[in-house]
This record gives sequence, structure tokens and C-alpha cells, in this order.
Amino acid sequence: MMSSRRELLSRVGFGLGAAALHALGAPRSFPNFAPKAKRVIYLFQSGGPSHLDLLDHKPYLKSRYNEDIPPSVFGTQRITGMVAHQDRFPVMPTMYSFRQRGQSGQWVSDLLPEIGGIADELCVLRGMHTEAINHDPAITLLQTGSQLPGRPSMGAWIDYGLGSENANLPAFVVLNSLPSNGQPDQGLLARLWGAGFLPSRYQGVQFRSGGDAVLHLSNPPGITREQRRSQLDGLAALNQRLKERVGDPEIDTRIAQYEMAFRMQASVPELVDLSREPESTFALYGPEAKKPGTFAANCVLARRLAERNVRFIQLYHRGWDHHGGLTERLPALTRDVDRPSAALVRDLKLRGLLEDTLVIWGGEFGRTPYAQGPAKPDSYGRDHHGRVFSLWMAGGGVKRGLAYGASDDYGFNVAEGGVHVHDLQATILHLLGIDHERLTFPFQGRQFRLTDVHGRVVKEIVA
Amino acid sequence: MDFGREVRPILAEKCFHCHGQDAKTRMAGLRLDVAGADLSKVVERITTTNPARRMPPAASKRSLEAGQIAVLQRWVAQGGQYAQHWAFVPPRRPTPPGGGGGPAANPIDAFVRQRLAAEGMRPNGPASPQAWLRRVSLDLTGLPPTPAELREFTAAVQNGGERAYQSTVKRLLGSARFGERMAIDWLDVARYADTHGFNNDSERSMWRWRDWVVQAFNENLPYDRFLTEQLAGDLLDKPTIEQRIATGFGRNHVINSEGGIIEEEYRVEYVADRVRTLGMAWLGLTLECARCHDHKYDPISQKDHYRMYAFFNNVPELGEDGRVANAVPILQAPTRAEERQLAALDAALLKAKAKPRPVSAIETPGALTLTPEQAVPVSKHEAMSFAFRVTGTGKETELFSSIDYKRNMAATTYGRGLDIRLAGPEIEFRFADRLAAYSIMVRSVGAELAPGRERHVVVIYEGAHDAPGAMRAYASWVRVFVDGREVATRILHDDLAMPERSLDQPQPTKFRVGPVKEAQYWTRVLRGAEVRSLARLAMADPELEALREQRLRIARRVSTVMVMQELPGEPRATHVLLRGQYNLPGDRVEPGVPEALLGAWPAGAPRNRLGLARWLTKPDHPLTARVVVNRFWQQFFGQGLVKTSENFGLQGESPSHPELLDWLAREFVDSGWNVKGLLEKIVLSATYRQEAAGSAESYARDPENRLLSRGPRFRLPAELIRDQSLFVSGLLAEKLGGPPVYPYQTKDLYKNIVVAATYPGTTWPEAAGPNLYRRSLYTFWKRTVPHPTMTVFDAPDREFCVVRRSNTNTPLQALTLLNDPTFAEAARKLAERAWREGGKTADGRLALAFRLATGREADEEELGMLRDLLGKMRQEYAEGGERARQLLAVGASPAASDIPAPELAAYASVANVILNLDEVITK
Repeated sequence: MMSSRRELLSRVGFGLGAAALHALGAPRSFPNFAPKAKRVIYLFQSGGPSHLDLLDHKPYLKSRYNEDIPPSVFGTQRITGMVAHQDRFPVMPTMYSFRQRGQSGQWVSDLLPEIGGIADELCVLRGMHTEAINHDPAITLLQTGSQLPGRPSMGAWIDYGLGSENANLPAFVVLNSLPSNGQPDQGLLARLWGAGFLPSRYQGVQFRSGGDAVLHLSNPPGITREQRRSQLDGLAALNQRLKERVGDPEIDTRIAQYEMAFRMQASVPELVDLSREPESTFALYGPEAKKPGTFAANCVLARRLAERNVRFIQLYHRGWDHHGGLTERLPALTRDVDRPSAALVRDLKLRGLLEDTLVIWGGEFGRTPYAQGPAKPDSYGRDHHGRVFSLWMAGGGVKRGLAYGASDDYGFNVAEGGVHVHDLQATILHLLGIDHERLTFPFQGRQFRLTDVHGRVVKEIVA
Repeated sequence: MDFGREVRPILAEKCFHCHGQDAKTRMAGLRLDVAGADLSKVVERITTTNPARRMPPAASKRSLEAGQIAVLQRWVAQGGQYAQHWAFVPPRRPTPPGGGGGPAANPIDAFVRQRLAAEGMRPNGPASPQAWLRRVSLDLTGLPPTPAELREFTAAVQNGGERAYQSTVKRLLGSARFGERMAIDWLDVARYADTHGFNNDSERSMWRWRDWVVQAFNENLPYDRFLTEQLAGDLLDKPTIEQRIATGFGRNHVINSEGGIIEEEYRVEYVADRVRTLGMAWLGLTLECARCHDHKYDPISQKDHYRMYAFFNNVPELGEDGRVANAVPILQAPTRAEERQLAALDAALLKAKAKPRPVSAIETPGALTLTPEQAVPVSKHEAMSFAFRVTGTGKETELFSSIDYKRNMAATTYGRGLDIRLAGPEIEFRFADRLAAYSIMVRSVGAELAPGRERHVVVIYEGAHDAPGAMRAYASWVRVFVDGREVATRILHDDLAMPERSLDQPQPTKFRVGPVKEAQYWTRVLRGAEVRSLARLAMADPELEALREQRLRIARRVSTVMVMQELPGEPRATHVLLRGQYNLPGDRVEPGVPEALLGAWPAGAPRNRLGLARWLTKPDHPLTARVVVNRFWQQFFGQGLVKTSENFGLQGESPSHPELLDWLAREFVDSGWNVKGLLEKIVLSATYRQEAAGSAESYARDPENRLLSRGPRFRLPAELIRDQSLFVSGLLAEKLGGPPVYPYQTKDLYKNIVVAATYPGTTWPEAAGPNLYRRSLYTFWKRTVPHPTMTVFDAPDREFCVVRRSNTNTPLQALTLLNDPTFAEAARKLAERAWREGGKTADGRLALAFRLATGREADEEELGMLRDLLGKMRQEYAEGGERARQLLAVGASPAASDIPAPELAAYASVANVILNLDEVITK
């Protein structure tokens, strides 16, 4: 037991008590097979970006403009209260043009010219689907495998399974940004990066812009780093003395955690300091990347975290919930994210990191092919739509230049290559070398897992 | 061979999934959860080398290990007898063993020592009186002992021995802090929070329920009543307000106000959450596993689940509710102080002598005439007064309305507008964004508007009075007068958002006008004299009226709390929900419990929540008492006798000391469910009083201390870590109960996270003064962004019932304790205290700081270490006057001006270290 405990302790590094380690029981054995990806950067677009205006080209809709969606297509769509009063659901084609990009000829909207520019790197999933139709349950399903609160988040599962590869940084880091148009709409939830029933040390650590990047990272004013060192030496000596008297090995862990905290006080500010990034970085990611807290700056940080082997890097950008005024609001959002998202993929590739870094870009659902409110050709809104939506991945062992799956002519239902949220999660774990059915944790008398009792690895997209 | 302990866990883990009670997933018609199968064939299939026949199949990833196969073989060879799972058999009082480790005064110790002896282990000797006093003070009050208490107790032990321990426990159990400490764990179980959860996560008001819990523990409410009042206080005979407040337990779950959700989907979730909580909190069972299908492991069918669901499915609630305030059903819940004020005014009204005076007619300037054609300005911010004459109709009658009731009720803007109507003999006021969820709905009480008699009515909406930062309107702004006299009101809904004033310009509004006369409208609040004049009263009694108004003003200000309540009339039908889905109803079921498994329904008990409570508190219920005594044990020893305190079912862990658990359970029930009595027995036991230290061998052999050869030693819960720092530094502001408070929290913590709309609960109005330093259980608890000082030390987010926190050890905890202004300020105040009260020498001051924080004397070596550290810190500040002042400026409390800044900063830096000692944050 002791040797495996030590082995675990060295592997997990970031804070786990002796008793908790013991309680975990048998040591875990991940990865189960050779991983294709060592880390994940998830560029979460919160609010439900419209697949029909961005990634899923549906020219047929133009010919059906303002007609009702046929009942055969509409099926048993669950409609939200926001459109329940509408007496009809008129087809709403996109007002944006699409073109084929790169050698792969992937269709991408002109709202995403830079992402279009990396079309040959992308694996676009056009048959994503979810049964959730509201933000909270949908985003919770995507990030935790269940629509309801209580389960660990994806990053926590992965940290639990694989541990950290950097002794000075947490394995699971979260970066949030607000849209530049000042309309973030929906809130985020701590549970999206929470540990659920896993020990709480697996929860994601939020890196914040402005002030301390990690809460309470800085010494109080008036305490220098050298002084802190003296304090910690005194603390360790007293704790060591206690250990001799009491014998509890938990005290050793505590001493080690204070040392880790001291190292983080140096490693984190160095990490988030973009002042030494060369101008070429900002030329690539765009000038917004100089402003802390923007999506662009967070993309640069994501690359820096990936360089330091942080396991799961979760970005959130909010404001995609375009029930009305989509045509004014969507371009503002794509301006925020298009260039930095593409720059990140290019940058990772340039540095040789793309091959073992999985980048994922997408939201919790898509938007309806019918208009919410008036269906004017150049001014419309769309309601939530989970029956089909799109998402792209790049690097980390997925096929390049591939469009997998398709929606029907209306962009309403999956026509082929359906990928449920649990399938996506199973596939992400697979790329990390984890059998999603074996990454389990006993809770309430049951073995729980990220994919609940579902999930199919989408082998078709694995390179 | 012990079937329950050795055999069933293997069958449950490896076999029941396909050969258990769930008929839908059952393979080959074979059941292994009950007797009847041909077990010789089973042995053949688990031992065959033919991979195609081998069980469990490799693909199931449930393969048996060699040792497990041997156990099953042995079991079958011995006859393959089944036995009921231990936890489903009522506990019987076992006789405490004698002998073993010698005659133990306390039966707890007899059981523990018997087990230790069987393992060839010996218990530790007793901890020092000081160590026990610190342990028991933290466990029973959440705060450490003061130096004076330590001194007095040490002397009392010398003089009186055992009696000193007993009287100390009595003192601690009698302290009001006891309830505050005990409430912490229960708030996790009951998923208490000050916000609704989900996307909008706006504020709710449930603190009256939280205060009920503190009070219940302090008054030693017997646990059967504690349970009954929380599950069904409203159904008791003539329930008191307190008993109805207690039912808030059933409403503490998350509530969703995301626009456009499907009502029924979430209403079903709320009911399901109550079943889940029933399982975890009271029964120690994972009932929610049976929501979608028969339970895979425990003999709980899906039908059983929905029969229990039926008890909670009869609440007049909404799926989408709680956008800016409490969700219905709600109760106006005066505090005891408010009740006293109201009673005093009632008494004054009784005693007051009537002195009627003639009413003089006065002007009522600013009146607009209300007709269907006349648009008048309406805004949530602005005051409005309506005056009219009306004759009662005895039924629902619209008087003034701008609400279009013909729209689709599923639409998010259904019911928007303002409506004043007759509801039988009463006046009802509705002001809504959406009916019924997002509205103010207030009804008069005692208006007595009857047919045949014309009355004069005034309805006033007081508006925001420029209340700073008001983000919602309040039902308490609505007042109703009949014939010049104010009448009481009852709040039906109180959940109306109010945009910023700049965004909310008064809207010209036309009302449909019903059978009224002399309808007038003002955009201001009418004064009492004006109301009386309009009512054309001949005589009135202004003094009595003033008293009445004062009483009504207090009554209107009383907080509401969400409560359980039954629908009037026929109960809502409950169906099994296929796959647990709200829109897939199956067979209809009636309320009921798994009687065959857990005992018969009590004779004559009603088939409602009250009957359920009666069933749960039957003296021979197999689970209720075991589950709670186990949780108390967990609170004191770090883990329960059953480690899986949330699950006593087949997949739960077996108790480490089954007889002790049963003895405690029996003792608890037979004592009349006496909580304080039980805790007293535990903390006075030799097991609890043991020295916590252990050798390397001791830790290697039993790292988690399951066998209890050592005294309990584990890191304190989040709340206690903060409370203790505030207490020893002299900052703690002790005040029992009240609305939640806002201590230090990083200013922009909510930025980039919370919903964009400015709902209540989306900003952090940091407190000033004592509320910065209240005990942590009073800190505002926002579910989607809980206070980091709590969550970093493993507090859950309270989105659902949690009966066991993890106990981790992380660098973020170190950063918090070292740098969080809460702790930096506490270190400074501890330093000040040590400097002032510790005599004139450095040694005296350091020794006092150490004693305050650890409850013991530093030894010579430790004192030397502190002295060295102080020396280094003095050097740091020797030339750094500015740096010293910076450090001393942390926190809102003023720095002592009589202590030289460099000296105080040096001591504060040492105190900073002391408050981080493992010993300080560990029990």
C-alpha cells in the first residue's frame, strides 16, 4: 500500500492528503492504451452558436425561406417557452455566405475567415446532438455528462484519471472571457469545472484576469518573497516537530502543499505575464490579445499552459444566445473568437504541440432553422436547437480536413454520422488513452463515469 | 460464513447488474439477488475456462478475482444460504462485551476494545485534559476553548476528576454555539443556500429555515420531531409558524428560472430531488437509482420510487419560478422578535381607548380619472394609488386590468401587466412580467366585500422610494384600504424583477375597467387623511389608525420563506415516469413505502408526508436511527462506522463496528431520540478521549483509524477554520441568526461568471462592521459561485444533498490561509492581542499567541523556533516602516496605534505562521 501511495503522490502532486489517497483504494491505471493526445484545450462557446450561420452550410433553406418547417422534419421537437406562443415556425436561411476552404473543401461561413483558413486542420462534427434545450442543463450535460448538477466535470475526470505532469501548476485550468459587445447573457456555473463527488482537489482552478491570477496568490502587501520563505521555513519546522510527536503522515503532505504554493507564487505570474511574448504573437492572435481577460489573451495563455503540460485547459466565451438580433450580435462574437481560435491552432502547430494537443471549439447546442420572432432576410433571431449542431476539433489524434456527419436539408435533424454529447466525451477520453467505461468512481454504491451509461467512441474521426 | 459481509457484496458488484431485481436488464431469467437459482450451475459458469461460457462475460468488465470465486464456491458448498442485508433488519440492543480491555465504563468503549483486542491492537491512552477540551469544544461549539477555560478545566480535573468532564460537556451542550456548530452539517444535508441555483442563480430567502435548524439543535428537539416537522410540519394538527417554517427543508432544492424551460420538466426535477434527499438524508439509501429503472442493487423497484415520489408531488409549485425572489408556496415568517413586536401592538390596540374625531374633507390633488379610454403612466418604480367604489360580487371579478389573459400560457410574456380584481370577498392585486411565476400577487385579508353593500376601496403600490440598488419590486409595497381603514394583506407571489430606473420609463397604460364607480388614479402614495377623506368617513380615530398602520407595516416587512404545502382538493395523480422522463407517464401509483423491505406502514397513519414521517420514526425502523447516529459519529471521528454514510444499501460499506452501531441506534431511540444525550455519551467515551498520536506502525496498519485505536485527528471543516481564526484574534462578532451576511470576498469574483441580468444575488455588497466577522454559517451562500474560502476547504456548492465532505490538502488551501485578507487581518489582531495580553517579553507574547491558537503550551523547542522567526521578521521590518504599515492596513479593523508598526508587523508575520500550523487547522 505504501509504495503505491507514494507512487500516486508523486503522480498527482497537486494536493491530496494521505487519508484521501488511502480512501481512493486501488491505484488507477491510466492511460489504458497509448494516448494520441496528452492535453485538451476546450474553447467553449457558451450560449449556443448558430451552426446554420457558421459551420453548417444549408443552401436548401434559401429556397424554402419563410415557409413552415414541414411536420415530417419538425417531428417531436421540444420547443422552449420563448417560441411557444409563435403560431408558425418559418424557415430562416442564413444571410451570410459560405465558401469551401482549403484543399479539403470544407464549407465555412464568411463570418469565420480565419477558421476557414485552417480548414485543412479541422475535423468538423456536423451531426452533434443533445436532448437538452436550455442552457443550464445543456452546458452541464456537455461538461459533466449529466443535465443535472452533481457530477464531476470533464476536466476533473481527466485530472483524476491522468494526474498532472507539472509539479508547479494545477492540471485543470479555467479561463473565462466576456464578449466585447458587453452582452454575455447567460451565467457560468462553478459546477462546470467542479469536482462533483470526486475529491474536491480535482476541481478546475480558475485563472482570473486582473488582480491575482489565482485567488490569494500574492502575499499580503508588506510581505516580500524572501520573508515568505522565512515564514514557510518556520512553519515547516514547527509542522515537522508536530509530525514527530503525532506521527500523522498527513502533516508531511501539508508541508509539501505549502512548498507547492510557494512555487506557484512564482510559476503562475510568470505564466500569465504576456509582456515577454514577441510581437509576432500579437500579430498572430491579434491586438486584442494584449488586453488581459479577452478571448484572444486567453488563447495565448492556453498555448502557454499547453507548453507547460497542463492537462485540461478550459476556456469559456459567452454571449452566443441570439434569440433576437442575431445578425447584429453574431458578427461581434465571431470577431472576438475567429482570429484567436485559428491563431491558437496555427501556433500550436508551429511549435509541434498540435499533434498531442486536442483543441475543441463549440457550444452546448445549435440554433433553430426557424426564426424566433420576425423572419426578415437580413434581421432575425433563432431559438435553442439541440437536435443537430456543429463543433470542430483539431490536433490531438483527430483526422484533418474531415467533415464527419451531416444534418438534413433543413439543418434540423441528424441525417448521418450523429454524435451525441456522450459520444463526444467518450471520444475525447479515447484520444487521451482512456477507456471511458473504465474511468469510474464509486459513489452511492455505484460506479459512476463521465459518459453515464452511454457513449460510443467515434472511431471514424480518429486518425 | 457471513452471507451479508462476504458473499453479497461480490454478487452485488459482479452479478446483480444482469441477474438482479431489474426485470428489464435481467439476462436468461436468472436472479441471484434472491434464493432459488441452481447454484451449482453458477459455480460451473464462473469457473469454466471456456471464455464463451465464462461468467461474468469479459465484455462486462466485471470479471471475478480468484479470491472472490473461492468465496462463492465455499458459500455454495456450505449450502448457499441467503440472509437479509443487515441494514434492512431492525437494530436490536446488543449486550456490551465485558472483559477484553478491562471493564469499560462506557459501552461504546467495550465494543471498540473488543474489536481492537480481536485485531491484537491496543487503544491509545487518554489525551491530556487540554487536548480533550479543545477537541470537544470545537466539536460541540465550533470554537476552541479560551485560555481561561483551559485553566479552569485543568484545575477542575485536578480537583474533581471525571465530574469536570461531565460538567464541561453540559456547559458546551448548553451554549447557543452548539446549534450553530451542529447546523453546519445539516445545511449540507438539506442543501441549504441563499440562491436558487441554475443559470440565473438569484437570491432566495431561506434564512428563517436555517435559524429554525440552529434553534432546534439548541432546544434539543428530539430527532423524531426534528424529522417530522421538516418533512410534514404543515400537516401537524394546528401547526405553529415554526413548524411550517421547518418544512422549508423540502424546498431548499435548486429552482430554475431560465426563460423558456418546460414547466413540467423542472417541476418533476424538484419532486425527484425530494425523493433523492429523503433517501440520502433520512434513509441512507440511493433511492434515485430507481428513478429510471428498478434499482440495480437494492431491492427498491421503480414503482417504489414513484410511490415515495407521490408524497412530494402534491405541492402548489411552478417549474419555472424564483427569478428575483422566493418561489411559491411561501409563508410570511416573523422572527420571534417580530412576533413579540406584533403581540405588543396587539395588546396596545386592545387597551387603547377609542377617541373618534370628525373627518374633515380635504383635497386629494393629482387625481386622474380611470376610464377604459384614459391611459395612465405605470412603472414598477413609481408609486400608484387607485381609489374606487365597488359592491362585492362574491366571485372573481376584474376591476382594473391591463393583462391579456387570452394569450398562450406557455409564452414567456404571458400575463404581463397590472390587474386589480375581486377574489370573492377580498381584493387581489397582480403586477406581472409573467403569470404566475414572475409577479407580485397580494390579497387582502378581511376586506369582507359582500353583495348588496357598496364600499370604498383604495389600493396603493408604494413604488421603489428610490431604494438604492433595488433590482426587484416587493409585494410588501402593496396596501389595501376599505372604507378608509387599512386591512391586512397576504402575499401569494413576490417575484417581480425591476429593471434599472433609467430603463424603466412609465408606460402609458389603458385598463379594462369593471363594475366600479368614482375610479381615480394617482402617481403617488395617498396619505391616511386623504384615504379617509375619499372614503367620506364621518368619524375616524387617527390614533388607533396609526397603531394599526404600524402593526401592518411590521407585518408587511416580515421575511418570507419557501415552505411545503398541499394542493387544495384532489391530490395530483402520480405516475411511474418511464426512464424517469417527465413526459413519459406509465402506470398510476398511490403514495407508499417499501413496506416488505423496511417495515409496515403505521396503523392509521394518513397517506401523506405526515404518515411518511410517522413511518420513518417508528422505533423499530431499520434505518432512520442508524443513519443519523452514524452521521454524528462521522462528525466526531471523521468517518462513520459505516463509511459510506450516504449509502446503507447493498453497495454500501459494512459497518466497522456493527454492534456498536446498533447499540447507539437503540440507545438513541430508547432515550426518546435525545440528540444531546447521545452526543454526551460519545464525547465522554474513552474512545473519543484517546490521545490522537500514533506510531508509524499504527498509521501503516490503520491509516484511516477505522479501528479507533487513536483519538480523532483530521483537518477542521471550512467554517471552523475561519471561525476559529476570527475567535482567537478577537474579531468574531457573535450574534445568533438573521439574514445572510457578506464578509470579505475578492471584489470581482463574480465577473466573467454570473448572469448578465442584475438579479438580486449577482453582486456582493460587502458588509461593514460586525457583519464582516460573523460565523461562517451566516455567509451568503451562492450556489454557482460559492464563497472560495469555503469551497477551497471542501465545502460543497449545495446544489443537492451531501452527507459527507471530502477532506483534501491542497496548495490553494495554503494560499488562502497565508494570503486571504480574512486570515491576514486575523493574524494582525492575534498579534495585537498577544502583544497586549502576553506580558512584556517576547517569550510571553509568543507563548500566548501559540496557546490561543493551539490550546496548549509551546514547549521549549517550539518557543525557540517562534523566537527565531520573530527575530527574522523584526529584521524584515527594521527599516521597512512603509512595508509594516502596508501589512497592518489589511482588513477593515483599525490597526493599534499604541504598538510600534514595525514591531506589530513582525508579530503579525509570526501570527500568520501560527494560524497556518497544521495543529491549528486540525482537530
